[in-house]
Amino acid sequence: MTQNFIPEQAIIRKIIHENEQISTFRLELTNKNLPFTFLPGQFLMLSVPHCGEAAISISSSPDTLPLIDLSIRKAGELTTAIHSMTEGDQVGIRGPFGKPFPMEDFANRDLLFIAGGIGLAPLKSVIDHFLFQSTTEDNAAQSITLLYGCRSPADIAFNEVITSWREQGVDCRLTVDEKDSSWNGNTGLVTELLDHFKTSSNTRSLVCGPPIMIRFVIARLSAMGCDDTSIFTTLERHMKCGVGLCGHCHLDGKLVCLDGPVFSLDQLKKLDVMEFSR
Amino acid sequence: MIDLRELILDKDKLYPLLRKLKKEARLIAPVKNDHGDTLFTTIEDIDTTRIDLENQPQESLKPFFLPQQETVASYSVLNGEYTFTPPEPAQDTIFFGVRSCDLTALLYMDLIFSKPAKDATYYDRRNHSLVITLGCNQPFDNCFCEATSSGPYLEYGYGLQFIDLGDCYYVSAGRGRGADLLEKWGYFFREVTKKDQNRRYQLFLEARGQFTKNIQVTHACQKLQKETVAEEIWEKLSQRCYDCGGCAYVCPTCTCFSVDDMPQGRSNGIRIRSWDACTSSGFTRMTGGHNPIDRTRHALKRRFLHKLKYDFANHGKASCTGCGRCVDICFGGVDITTFIDLFTGQETP
Repeated sequence: MTQNFIPEQAIIRKIIHENEQISTFRLELTNKNLPFTFLPGQFLMLSVPHCGEAAISISSSPDTLPLIDLSIRKAGELTTAIHSMTEGDQVGIRGPFGKPFPMEDFANRDLLFIAGGIGLAPLKSVIDHFLFQSTTEDNAAQSITLLYGCRSPADIAFNEVITSWREQGVDCRLTVDEKDSSWNGNTGLVTELLDHFKTSSNTRSLVCGPPIMIRFVIARLSAMGCDDTSIFTTLERHMKCGVGLCGHCHLDGKLVCLDGPVFSLDQLKKLDVMEFSR
Repeated sequence: MIDLRELILDKDKLYPLLRKLKKEARLIAPVKNDHGDTLFTTIEDIDTTRIDLENQPQESLKPFFLPQQETVASYSVLNGEYTFTPPEPAQDTIFFGVRSCDLTALLYMDLIFSKPAKDATYYDRRNHSLVITLGCNQPFDNCFCEATSSGPYLEYGYGLQFIDLGDCYYVSAGRGRGADLLEKWGYFFREVTKKDQNRRYQLFLEARGQFTKNIQVTHACQKLQKETVAEEIWEKLSQRCYDCGGCAYVCPTCTCFSVDDMPQGRSNGIRIRSWDACTSSGFTRMTGGHNPIDRTRHALKRRFLHKLKYDFANHGKASCTGCGRCVDICFGGVDITTFIDLFTGQETP
């Protein structure tokens, strides 16, 4: 019988310091014979010694397997503990869990990614996947745009990744709520970046960030004429099992771990969800 | 499912039979303790223990399959190796004197813990268990199992079902191990007569006529599929919920849990699963403090909608078994029957 609460051992191969609060932990399963694969948008249950488990979305693309990136912000006990770990240390993982982004629907689309803070992590998996594919492939994206908002310049994560994305033709537009002397870019909420942006029926929008940001961005996209089936988000909830048993991630009869975390606005509108109260 | 075999056990043969069963497996039955509480207890010495078949056990079978706290894995961090070990396997157990509502709850748990994959510790215990039920001839004060189709007698699911006919038990065997038991210990039993059958049927009808509570469970479930519950109802209920978790604790179908590590030293520890309740404020609160549920208004929304709306939609049946324990325990008076009464009274727009 499946020992469904027994994690697999993984080793931290590399730690990438993204900013003061966020680091990316590049993991590899110690048992290389284990079949492991995932799709962008899915998450893992991460075990850190003595700290239990937490649900963390995968921030790398499946194309770079067997390496798996988890980009983690120091927030609670477990996430703080992993920040004190070093390369070569071991963690446990279970998964992957959850429904991924509908990647087949994104082929030949104009992809618009809108992220706030650490919310870029699950979207990064999608962006990296499309960049990995050659532009000549049938299922490549038509164009990729990233609107990324953070509280302050120091809160911007994935700086190196963004530089590399720009070099690969991704239109990356950044904004901060509060600027400092180091900043000469946009100031204001990420929704304001939409003022200078035009969407079309070929646009697919992927939104992730704090609940309040998701809510306002989605309202704005709807006002711009985007169809409910063209807007996607990935929800964060307190989770204890990842397999639909513990009940913590309940969402009006659905469970975020099984039915999500990726939802289209069309799906969310049928539910009684706090972020999108009918 | 049809009863494969039916026999009569005279009451003076009960303890001799249980003595035999106890040699095969751990035997658990309701026993009244010194405080006057009737609880499912492991029978150590059958000759000095009086099994209490008069009172409703205060807890259901839930703690024996999903313990209030259990180890799902132990871990160690030694020489840089972070490894996990599964828990000890379950032991063979026979439960005796289980009420119909509690077996129905166990069948519901079987469903819950089988998807998307079979839960290892639950099914290990379940596969090592045999449940002998006792049909209820007299419902307890707060029971309403007739309204939830989970009693007073059962038609399937049990290993054996006992019905008290006064001086003997009418015993029906379910499939598998229950039928095997009757076969093995056949010499304790005698054949069923027409008179026994008539007596059983008469007692069944009498039992059904003795429910004092009339709870519109199915009507509430059907109405919930079509209508939204008025915000005033949720708010009224929430005002009287004191976050004690008592309802989830005694409920035989509340299976939500939490998982945490409990260090046992610098280099090892156990991962425990423990009961949790959707009525508690910390249930949905995330790291950083954001909580997608407003407890002041919706403390009980998940609890009642899960049991009556979603489970009815998904399984065709509410996951309330009418055991009445939440009615006994809720000092705010906002148990599931209060909700059903308020909601079925809500005017259809």
